[in-house]
Amino acid sequence: MTANKEDTNVRPSLLIVEDLQVEFDTYGGTVQAVRGVNFSVDQGQTLAIVGESGCGKSVTVQSIMGLIPAPPGRIIAGSARLRGHEILGRKTVGGGEIRGAEIGMIFQDPMTSLNPTMKIGDQIAEPLKVHRGYSARNASLEAVRLLELSRIPEASKRARQYPFEFSGGMLQRAMIAMALSCKPSILIADEPTTALDVTIQAQILDLMLELQKETGMAIILITHDLGVVARMADEVAVMYAGKIVEYGSANDIFYRSAHPYTVGLKEAMPTNDPARQHELKPISGSPPDLFAPPAGCGYCSRCPYAMQICSESPPQNNGLHDHHSASCWLHHPRSGIKPDTLFFGDAL
Amino acid sequence: MLLYILKRVFQGFITVWFIATATFFAMHNVPGDPLTNDRAMTETTRANLEAKYGLDEPVSTQYLIFLRNLARGDFGISFVQENREVNDIIREHFPVSAILGVLSVVFAATGGVLFGALTALYRNRLPDYLIMFLVILGISVPSFVVAALSQLSLVSLNTLLGFTVLPVAGWGTVMHMLMPALVLGLSTMAYLTRLMRSSMLEVTSSDYVRTAKSKGVPPTRIFTRHQLRNAILPVVTVLGPAIAAITTGGFVVELVFAIPGLGRYFVEAVQQLDYTVIMGTTVFYGAFLVFMVILVDVVYGFVDPRVSLDA
Ligand SMILES: Nc1ncnc2c1ncn2[C@@H]1O[C@H](COP(=O)(O)OP(=O)(O)O)[C@@H](O)[C@H]1O
Ligand code: SF4
Ligand SMILES: [Mg+2]
Repeated sequence: MTANKEDTNVRPSLLIVEDLQVEFDTYGGTVQAVRGVNFSVDQGQTLAIVGESGCGKSVTVQSIMGLIPAPPGRIIAGSARLRGHEILGRKTVGGGEIRGAEIGMIFQDPMTSLNPTMKIGDQIAEPLKVHRGYSARNASLEAVRLLELSRIPEASKRARQYPFEFSGGMLQRAMIAMALSCKPSILIADEPTTALDVTIQAQILDLMLELQKETGMAIILITHDLGVVARMADEVAVMYAGKIVEYGSANDIFYRSAHPYTVGLKEAMPTNDPARQHELKPISGSPPDLFAPPAGCGYCSRCPYAMQICSESPPQNNGLHDHHSASCWLHHPRSGIKPDTLFFGDAL
Repeated sequence: MLLYILKRVFQGFITVWFIATATFFAMHNVPGDPLTNDRAMTETTRANLEAKYGLDEPVSTQYLIFLRNLARGDFGISFVQENREVNDIIREHFPVSAILGVLSVVFAATGGVLFGALTALYRNRLPDYLIMFLVILGISVPSFVVAALSQLSLVSLNTLLGFTVLPVAGWGTVMHMLMPALVLGLSTMAYLTRLMRSSMLEVTSSDYVRTAKSKGVPPTRIFTRHQLRNAILPVVTVLGPAIAAITTGGFVVELVFAIPGLGRYFVEAVQQLDYTVIMGTTVFYGAFLVFMVILVDVVYGFVDPRVSLDA
């Protein structure tokens, strides 16, 4: 919550999401996929949303993009404001298209995310024709330039090829070129490197950083990999069971972890240091059932610090310092624990 | 590409040779004899025919004579309709069947793609339920029943209105062609509708359609540029068998609607055990189908960029 409460003398964030709640109707009942999410992103900054698979990361960003299939999906509450204008459930903001023009998006699996029967160049040129009124000729010239911008060799030849003639890494570069074609102010990247080889992963992340420097765009990066977070993020939102449980700068999250789940994630993270390899500790147990989320803290059943109150009522969001906050009873003002003394905040 | 087509054509010829051989030996094992007909036949005619086809020779010699004539494109002379060459019969009546068939395939393919896309668009709503009910009818009711029923309803319609909306039978004008072509294409259309529906649903929930949405592409453009071409691929692959189904279905429809097509001659020839006509038309139909399938495969190579037509 604190993240959104901007001081009046500070320029408001580019995108502010408040109390986003999303449900899905399924045969098994209603899944409460996202249960009140808040975050904000600033120009030129990267926000990483990190959490286990199924915690609602994709649903969160797809809601902003209007990509939630409805039915079965339903946005039941919340707002998302781009430069102060509501965009949730809308297609345009201030006369301009949101999708593809204000916000670009890339996805996890580049192999299936491009149309197999359409030339790469045509797919990149499409938003330019649709949103910017480019002629077919100019759009395809610009597509080649965008491919070059994404560091794809022999761009003009590549533009005339089909997705099956590309490797995974090259396809993700093409996806980036496509998402950035209309110079959006925000790039949403939903696990952009999860499906790629490690060396290719690094190249794609570097490309995103370089392009961010050139264009000043904000990036919302979704990942379940803390290594990716460390490489990319300015701000981090740690998500668990449909809620953001800890929010702060990358330094806060890595060196002053305040939520037991964040600590668990860090301990479960593989390291390059062979001496510490044996210390790898996966979090035991599994996330709660989102058909019937627990009354108290969602992490209660897995938390080594769980107290009586944790299972009875949900913890509120407690501000720590600056933008750093955590939803955990340990940080309640009356718990008497000084946040920094709780965990060691191991350096990575 | 050219090499691929040549290879396929060569394979096609082998297939046709198999068909011809199978037909030849099947005919030889059918009881009865076209020459012991109830119609009288002079001794000289009989002798001439026996000499031409080597009917008094052993089967192996007859087979070789048959192949030699086939290679020359000579299917012989009808045993029943004297002095009529099988080639003439084909030349005269196949165009009628072809027009009927092409019209039916066009009906079936456009109808299938259109209705399939429509049902997917209106998934689990009234248009979907309605069309899918008709599809099940179309698949399960045999074409001779549909043919008879459609004829019956045409008769009632024409008498009710007091003028001929569509002719009930016969051939000649476009009006004559519409009803039989529709009846002939109906079950294939139903099948293609079902195929197109599931293919369309799959494409609709695909990652690349989601990508197109995330690019802000308007729905109509997503439909035409992203969904349609991908969803049509499975329909194109079954077009070969669909043409086969329509061609064979044509035999019945031509009979019911009194259309002077090759199919009707084929059925009559079978009834009369007209050797040369049966063998000629079977081989001809076989060759026709084999080359239609090749054509469809080549077309598929153009529709799907992932398929390369290299030998
Ligand atoms: N179309 C859908 N229908 C039903 N449930 C869905 C749908 N999409 C997502 N969910 C549910 O929402 C939850 C969050 O999913 P998601 O946001 O994809 O997780 P992740 O954090 O791995 O991206 C999951 O429990 C998933 O089952
Ligand atoms: S609120 Fe309680 S159960 Fe939840 S994370 Fe904090 S200590 Fe653990
Ligand atoms: Mg996801």
